[in-house]
Amino acid sequence: MTGAQSSRARDQSSTGYEHLTPLFVEMAETATDDPRRAELRNKLVTGHLPLAEHIAARFSNRGVPREDLVQVATLGLINAVDRFQPDRGTDFLSFAVPTVMGEVRRHFRDASWSMHVPRRLKELNLAINAASAELSQRLGRAPTPSELGRHLNLSPEQVFEGLEAGNAYHSMSLDEALSPDSDSDPLGDTLGQPDAALDGVENYESLRPLIESLPERERQILTLRFFRHMTQTQIAERIGISQMHVSRLLSRTLEQLREGLIGEPEPKR
Amino acid sequence: MFEGTEDGSPEEIELRIAAVLTNLPIIRSLAASIAMRADFDLDSIADLRLAVDEACSTLITQGAPGATLTCAFTVSAEEIRFVVTVPSTSDTKPSSDSFGWRVLTTLTDRTATWVDGPDDGDTHLVHIELAKRRTEGLPG
Repeated sequence: MTGAQSSRARDQSSTGYEHLTPLFVEMAETATDDPRRAELRNKLVTGHLPLAEHIAARFSNRGVPREDLVQVATLGLINAVDRFQPDRGTDFLSFAVPTVMGEVRRHFRDASWSMHVPRRLKELNLAINAASAELSQRLGRAPTPSELGRHLNLSPEQVFEGLEAGNAYHSMSLDEALSPDSDSDPLGDTLGQPDAALDGVENYESLRPLIESLPERERQILTLRFFRHMTQTQIAERIGISQMHVSRLLSRTLEQLREGLIGEPEPKR
Repeated sequence: MFEGTEDGSPEEIELRIAAVLTNLPIIRSLAASIAMRADFDLDSIADLRLAVDEACSTLITQGAPGATLTCAFTVSAEEIRFVVTVPSTSDTKPSSDSFGWRVLTTLTDRTATWVDGPDDGDTHLVHIELAKRRTEGLPG
């Protein structure tokens, strides 16, 4: 949660880019082969980095790791710095924000879907995910499809379509590319093992190694849901991913545990 | 808003499907779709989906070879009830001390299991029943 707080703090001081504005004029007036130009460009990109981080944070609860988003947003920022023309009369921020957001949106479209889902449905699903996070905050519980529909001004059928599209959303490979602790909070350190909670479970001996072999985040989610009795929405908020993502990870984890307990999974027919 | 039948009586939906694990995605999609259309909140929809998955996979592994799984959903204003049944050669109830059972009791508001028969030859019917209540404080 510290990430969200720091980005909010940054937001309040986000008018603090004015000192950079003269640099754009200076860069525009510097010849392309002048080494000063690269230096100015560097300063402009570095100076605006909080903007990229802020935009990345706005998209961060949707199943794509924040580091990836920051990287993509930074690329968008560099493009914006390169293409901005100070003599056009617009200020940099109103030019850069849509450019950077466009880059992040494109990343979601290109990198995160495992099967072909029409763009309309992907955007619908992203909108529902964002609305779901917002409404959960306000209501103190997960919203219903009709609440989402009212909030987004969508028909029930559109909400259903958007929710179902989430099942085609592929975040697993991105998760697996991450090292176990790179984006998890210190929760994992404090949580301990679910050992005590497993007392009295009959297949404890075969279950424990299976749980221990789970990736850190999957184990956290399993523990929070089944031993701490947190809801998926509460877990999502705590871990910093979307409720739909928690749902997918839990589903896959339970399946793995079942397969592990049965032994061999049933052959495909 | 989208719930149930026009006269408000509980709606019943039944699915009969080969008791093999590869059919689980069909059953859990149906469960999620029913809960979604009954306007349950997203947590409850996801919980029901996981619970139905768990219950069905438990019975599938216990079913007789070539068995058919019967999945019955009853949607009322208060709750969604789910009963899954499989014919089995054994009269053993799914254990209530297992991790799978803990998963079911965590995810739902009511959980039960029982065995009927045999009424023809030596086939027993093993059932698991679950109920997920509509979250309190929801409008409508």
